[in-house]
Amino acid sequence: MRAVSRSIEEDDLHAWVDSRLTPKDNEAVEAYFAAHPELRARWSQYAAQREELRAAFGGLTEKTIPARLRVARLLAEQRRRRRRRLGRVVAAVALLIAGGIGGWGAHDLLPVLTSSASAVLASAVFDDAIAAHRTFSVETRHPVEVGADEEAHLVQWLSKRLGHRLIVPDLNALGFRLMGGRLLPADSGPAALFMYEDGKGTRLSCYYLVVDVSGETEFQFRERNGISAFYWVDDGLAYAIAANVPRGLLLKIAEIVYQQNSPDGAKAKLPPASDKAS
Amino acid sequence: MIAGIPTGTVAGGRTWPLTGRESWWPPRSRLSNGEAMPDLAALIEAQIPGLRRFACALLRGDREGADDLVQDALERALSHWNLRRNQGNLKGWLYTILYNRFLSNQHRVRRRGQHDALTEETELPGIDGGQHSVLEHRDLLRAFAALPEEQRAVLLLIGVEDLSYQDAARVLGVPIGTVMSRLSRGRERLRRAMHGELEENTSRHGAALRRVK
Repeated sequence: MRAVSRSIEEDDLHAWVDSRLTPKDNEAVEAYFAAHPELRARWSQYAAQREELRAAFGGLTEKTIPARLRVARLLAEQRRRRRRRLGRVVAAVALLIAGGIGGWGAHDLLPVLTSSASAVLASAVFDDAIAAHRTFSVETRHPVEVGADEEAHLVQWLSKRLGHRLIVPDLNALGFRLMGGRLLPADSGPAALFMYEDGKGTRLSCYYLVVDVSGETEFQFRERNGISAFYWVDDGLAYAIAANVPRGLLLKIAEIVYQQNSPDGAKAKLPPASDKAS
Repeated sequence: MIAGIPTGTVAGGRTWPLTGRESWWPPRSRLSNGEAMPDLAALIEAQIPGLRRFACALLRGDREGADDLVQDALERALSHWNLRRNQGNLKGWLYTILYNRFLSNQHRVRRRGQHDALTEETELPGIDGGQHSVLEHRDLLRAFAALPEEQRAVLLLIGVEDLSYQDAARVLGVPIGTVMSRLSRGRERLRRAMHGELEENTSRHGAALRRVK
């Protein structure tokens, strides 16, 4: 028998099970199995199980796509929702104008007309985020609990406490460097705060809170006592970006945070897995 | 006071400032007549059978729930279309969204205290792609349903959905070494469930081979 030209590792054997080896590597694994027949028995069982799983779940494969999953239909539905939302805004604006002319309290009606459960929620998040920013952005010695030097640990810890994969936005492009983060209490559960600082010492908070709402809200902007914030709810997480910076810059930052949290954008900076290969 | 919404085009249900660099897909003009469906719709639909199979297996045979999950994921994919970074790998992107939706739904279910109903259901009631395949593979499916969720996901993505190890790592948001170790543990656990503990010594031999990445 020919000597094995390279060392065989477990990953190679998995690739053998999955038929993903080059012919040359396949040969090397076969030679390895020839020398270790007891291993071949076990790995062949893996391969057989894999085939059986494919056969079992193959029964779930249906070529016909149900109507509600057709892309054309989903797009039409999306368009309809968008129009409806636009309609609500138009109605609210009309009332506001009418209120201005007629002296009604249409102003008070506006939030009712435009709000949804998640918008109301987002607004509560604004209050929490502003309070957190006000408290910790002035802190010189202990602005964060865990510093940026332990970023991986920080994300993993906060993700675990919030029960939601968090990502730390990378805002270096706009001159904001991560200082670190902390865990905070909120009405509905734990919240996470990431603190940033630019070269001039301006601080910025990125606040995350898990909410029991699956939809999305629009970006909303509010200012209170010199601190501006953009906030929104997206996929079970409420976000607020707060700082004492011009609105244009804050919007750019919010945009980056939103994008980095988008389904595949999030992949760039995920917390490390809790179970390490051992 | 709400100072209003940033200016921009309505994109995917969100008022989003597009800063003029990209237009929302698909263009409205093509949508309005309904017949000029972009090829992208076809590309997405080509993935739907696999997505449904994956969702159904994740949900231990709950077909209705699986289609809800797929619908949810597709809606999200369509509304985030212009934020897609990796233009090449549509399949991995769709599976990523679906898996993330699965995780956040599970989290929501747990928060509402309905956890038990979900975990106790290991009978795979809905896998009836011919009762035949259920009966035939009953033992394996039951053993598979008893695996930890993270191992099931790896075995499905790699063994059934044919994703590369690298793509599976991206979908799950973990390093590739973690994928390999989950694959290893999942396969061994399944084997033991099927073949008993008879081969204790060989598996110890195998464990010595384990490489830490």
